[in-house]
Amino acid sequence: MSTEKIGKGRLFPSVSDMEKWPWWALVIALAAVFIVFNIFNSASYQDAFGFIREGIFTTIRVTLTAYGIAILGGLFLGLGRVSKNVFYYNFATLYVELMRGIPMLVIILYGAFVVVPLGLEIASGLGTWMTRFPLLAGWGASLQHLDIQNVDMSARAIAGLAMGYAAFEAEVFRAGIQSIERGQMEAARSLGMNYVEAMRYVILPQAFSRVLPPLGNDFIAILKDSSLISVLAVRDITQLGKLYRARTFSSFEAYNTMAFLYLSMTISLSLGVKFIEKRLRRGR
Amino acid sequence: MDDNQDQDVIIQIDHVTKSFGKIHALKGVSTTVKRGEVLVIIGPSGSGKSTLLRCINMLEFPDSGQIMVDGIPVMHKATNINAVRAEVGMVFQQFNLFPHLTVLENVILAQRVVRKRKREEAEQIALQQLKHVGIPEKANSYPGELSGGQQQRVAIARALAMNPKIMLFDEPTSALDPEMIKEVLDVMLALAKEGMTMVVVSHEMGFTRAAANRVVFMDMGKIVEEGSPDSIFKNPTEERTRLFLSQILH
Repeated sequence: MSTEKIGKGRLFPSVSDMEKWPWWALVIALAAVFIVFNIFNSASYQDAFGFIREGIFTTIRVTLTAYGIAILGGLFLGLGRVSKNVFYYNFATLYVELMRGIPMLVIILYGAFVVVPLGLEIASGLGTWMTRFPLLAGWGASLQHLDIQNVDMSARAIAGLAMGYAAFEAEVFRAGIQSIERGQMEAARSLGMNYVEAMRYVILPQAFSRVLPPLGNDFIAILKDSSLISVLAVRDITQLGKLYRARTFSSFEAYNTMAFLYLSMTISLSLGVKFIEKRLRRGR
Repeated sequence: MDDNQDQDVIIQIDHVTKSFGKIHALKGVSTTVKRGEVLVIIGPSGSGKSTLLRCINMLEFPDSGQIMVDGIPVMHKATNINAVRAEVGMVFQQFNLFPHLTVLENVILAQRVVRKRKREEAEQIALQQLKHVGIPEKANSYPGELSGGQQQRVAIARALAMNPKIMLFDEPTSALDPEMIKEVLDVMLALAKEGMTMVVVSHEMGFTRAAANRVVFMDMGKIVEEGSPDSIFKNPTEERTRLFLSQILH
């Protein structure tokens, strides 16, 4: 009673416990119970789940690989975004601006059908040239035989996703690095460390822990965007769901199962990110 | 190095100018610091005293002039500034400890990376320096768990662990709560007595009287007056010095 009187004077107007309760989570939980119940009890759902299940592994594999490459690429580009080197900075900025201005679906198509084939052609040409030199002939021969026919679509899809997400992660790393107080770099440099040493031992470790939550959010985002690779006919969750619907016309079962699979992954991941955020806020 | 240069001079500053956009922070400053000398720079805020200090180890790059540190022209392109900085310790107003590392790791890091010392050797020196500044028991704490005075003493230990020839102090007590100022000044005073060359930007009159060999008063990017603490505090010749001192001595 007494708290209600001062409620409006608080820094953040308080709400009662009932209002704070996560009702949205209850709705999702009920939906999940409904789907799980059906997967176990309804023959049509069982059929749909059995068909789509194969795609879970592909989705996870593509997501993890593309994300790993995107993090490495993003770190390289992010360091370029804060670099004073004219070429490094402009290369990184050009790349980031290009990628951020192109829809992810277009980047995936571009990566799969332009960048990867072109890259392989250049590598194979280089290999042919290298065979002329005895010292490099071994490597040259293996490069020479690179052929786009032997590269499966999921690898090409990974390349596209990683290309796009490297640009996003670059901006995350840039923001993280720039959020570290100027005094940290000054202290490191005043002790005689060079720029690279100061970055490696002082700035980046702090920047990393600060960008952990946004990096986690981007992992959820790339997991969702991995559904776009179904346009390349990679047999991920989305592609198999589409195939199942086309085959059986059971739209409800197909799309409910798909949505359920994605949600169960994204929601548990987002709980993980919240946990990390909480731990970081508590600090050391 | 230079034959006609006084062997005892360790820092030589010649007609140094520096501007930030339209603000002229330094308008041709010249002074020298001798080996083992303690120089205290005082002056109103915006007078250029911190900028001058930061020019000595090139945290700010002067627009013109010449600075020699231990015979090395630090503004020269060919000079390896990292090697010079390793010999010049610096203590900041905001401590700038590395918050992701323990106190011990803070003191070890640059010894390992810059001096290439072995882990055991660096650790031994670090513990010795922490004892020197009076907080060996905090070796395994994180900077965030320490009081301001303790953090600043760790920062001093971190700089000393590099065995610098010169120590620069940029308002080392300005960010401290009053009750913690003395513990930091005591460490600095002991350091001065050991014969360390020190350049200190500070308004701590007690420390200046006890430790300074020479006091420089700066205003508007220029050195107005310099001399012994006694002559500056008791008989300032310049009106501006007198006015400034009357404002800070109360």
